[in-house]
Amino acid sequence: MANPIRVDSAGGEYMESVVVLEWTAKIGDAVKAGDLLVTVETAKAATEIEVPCDGYLTAIFAETGTEVPLSAVLGLIGVTVEDKAFEGAVAPVAPAPLTPGATAESPVSAAVSPQGSAANNRLIASPAARRQAVHQGVDLRGVRASSPTGRIKLRDLVQVPASQTYGLQAPALSTLPPDDHGPLKIYRSGPKTGTPLVMIHGFGADAQSWFPLERDLARSTPVIRIELPNHGQSPKRRVGSFANLARDITAAFDALHVDDAHIIGHSLGGACALSLADIRPRQIASLTLLAPGGLGAAINGGFVDGLARASRPESLGPWLRLMVADPKIIGDDFVVAAMASRADPTLRAAQQQMARDLFPDATQGFDLRAALARLHCPTRIIWGRADAVLPWQQALAAPGRIGLHLLEATGHVPQLERTDEVLAILRAQLREGVSS
Amino acid sequence: MAMMRYAEALNAALREEMTRDPSVFMFGEDIGRYGGVFKVSKGLMDEFGESRIRDTPISEQAMTAMAVTAAMTGTRPILEIMYADFIPLCMDALVNQASVFGYLWEGQVNMPFVLRTQGGGGVGTGAQHAKSLDSFLAHIPGIKVVAPVTPADAKGLLKAAIRDPQPVIFLEHKLLYNLRGEVPEGDDHIVPIGKARIVQSGKDVSIFATSKMVIEAEAAAKLLAKDGIDAEVIDLRTLRPLDLASIKASIAKTHHAVVVNEGWTFCGYAAELSATIMDHCFDDLDAPVMRVAMPDMPIPYSEPLELAVIPNAAKIAAAARRALA
Repeated sequence: MANPIRVDSAGGEYMESVVVLEWTAKIGDAVKAGDLLVTVETAKAATEIEVPCDGYLTAIFAETGTEVPLSAVLGLIGVTVEDKAFEGAVAPVAPAPLTPGATAESPVSAAVSPQGSAANNRLIASPAARRQAVHQGVDLRGVRASSPTGRIKLRDLVQVPASQTYGLQAPALSTLPPDDHGPLKIYRSGPKTGTPLVMIHGFGADAQSWFPLERDLARSTPVIRIELPNHGQSPKRRVGSFANLARDITAAFDALHVDDAHIIGHSLGGACALSLADIRPRQIASLTLLAPGGLGAAINGGFVDGLARASRPESLGPWLRLMVADPKIIGDDFVVAAMASRADPTLRAAQQQMARDLFPDATQGFDLRAALARLHCPTRIIWGRADAVLPWQQALAAPGRIGLHLLEATGHVPQLERTDEVLAILRAQLREGVSS
Repeated sequence: MAMMRYAEALNAALREEMTRDPSVFMFGEDIGRYGGVFKVSKGLMDEFGESRIRDTPISEQAMTAMAVTAAMTGTRPILEIMYADFIPLCMDALVNQASVFGYLWEGQVNMPFVLRTQGGGGVGTGAQHAKSLDSFLAHIPGIKVVAPVTPADAKGLLKAAIRDPQPVIFLEHKLLYNLRGEVPEGDDHIVPIGKARIVQSGKDVSIFATSKMVIEAEAAAKLLAKDGIDAEVIDLRTLRPLDLASIKASIAKTHHAVVVNEGWTFCGYAAELSATIMDHCFDDLDAPVMRVAMPDMPIPYSEPLELAVIPNAAKIAAAARRALA
């Protein structure tokens, strides 16, 4: 792995680009750490850049006379003469030359300090590109930024190969009802004013499954529950990909016209909540994820298929009991009631299709770890250590600033098994989200 | 239509409104016998007499308080402040009286006065006679601020301002007075306050500019066109209330925004535009909003230095290219 030669160590002057004046080594030369390597002209003076480590100069991206952005990679120092491997290496593109009259003191001030999209592992894309990526179902991590700023722009999304889009290839089940593109079902309870809590349930459940939390929280907080497509009273339609599902959720959220909301999501709803917080960061007061999807590949595929297919209490019961650490809390009455809510065969068929689209081959076909790393709102993840559907270790993908509550002897539905603990965590979250 | 200069268009608007409405009168320094430093009120004293075109001593504070009181008591005063640089002397009457009296007295008083002034640099008038203090004025709720660029808009907006029931600050620019253009004749040429003007339509980048900077933005668009960049230039015309609909429609099309104002950068009008755009158009933006404004420094007396710091076409074009990079 070769080491990059960067300009950004050249000094703290107020500047956005430098001009390369002179290289003191040729490609292939052995170089020693601390030797003068390249001289660049900054806004105020010429600055000398030293060799960052021993090795060989294996690549020069910015020839003499080139103007490059401040954090551009000028070249590479390889361990061997051949070593040019560098993660995220993008040969800098010279920005448009400054027009005469635009001086270095030009008050054009909105320019960012350019960062490659690989910098800090943080994906850098314009808001318009992010929105377009959601519409196209494109994972931006597979898109190369053409701008010298390193920022992915709209134009970079025009021609994206199908292989970089989320799987859309799963064949449709023949028994599906025709697609209904109506809005998702919304339930409201609690006071009319205040920052609302938006709840998004998991796969195979519906808005009623929030009852243990909702009946308590709605005493003091406006509660808005969104039902996923193909669940509860929401329209049935082929979602095809997680990106489309995220778009549905975003549209439902936008239609609420709230400036600010706390979001909680469970399982697949947690993945939806996370993507919503990524797409609408300014409107999210806090995010609480209960055993969320999207933080790893593994998922209990048998559970997802079995839950979606089950047409009788006898086949549904074992899967429901798999969701909890203590199967005794899922009594026969619970199973019968759950089956009654899934009596509609078209609902079950639509959910089976959805499972095939989102979880192909017992795999979570979408990865939201980059979105998790980008979050800025107060975020907590709650996960049961006896979760048999999604491994709780996936929570460890979270960056350190995100609070983890890994509950002992708890399965996939902490809000059912540990209602009081989840409520206490959620109340703290609502307070923190409001004050921040 | 008649071809006339910007100053003549203002003169025509004043004459028409003073003829139409006997409650309209004007006062300021050297506006009567001398006809105004920029000749905007030329000939009006002879035509309307010394009671309706009044020369005042040098006291901007007293003059502004007079405008407030006269407006409250049933007339429509027009106050000329010779240089926008003197606006700080008018501030108490604007901030603590004109803008709040309607509110304090539950709408029982109207405040139909116009404060005309001119600002801007580029002709070596130095640090006390070349400023653009747009953001001082546009900051005040309850006061409208307009800044026409073309002679036609100068006439139409001045007539709208005189007829408006609220205080209107009318910002002129010393380098616009000799600008010539077609101006509609007659009483019914009114340009509504709060409507921007699309100077030229384009698809690649939106340049939002105010006052003389619109002329620079047009020149920037010509520079950009040589590189195949199709810029949309929008003259905001009214600084407050802002024509948000026009801004949103333009950015939804181009996804790139450059905002230009001749005032200082920090806490400036361009900063307000930038923040407003991000509030309302964030998901439409494909690049950060680029701000082109005056550096935070006194305006140099030396003309070469002054021209180096005032925003110009080259700086606007560079900002547009940076947005599109």
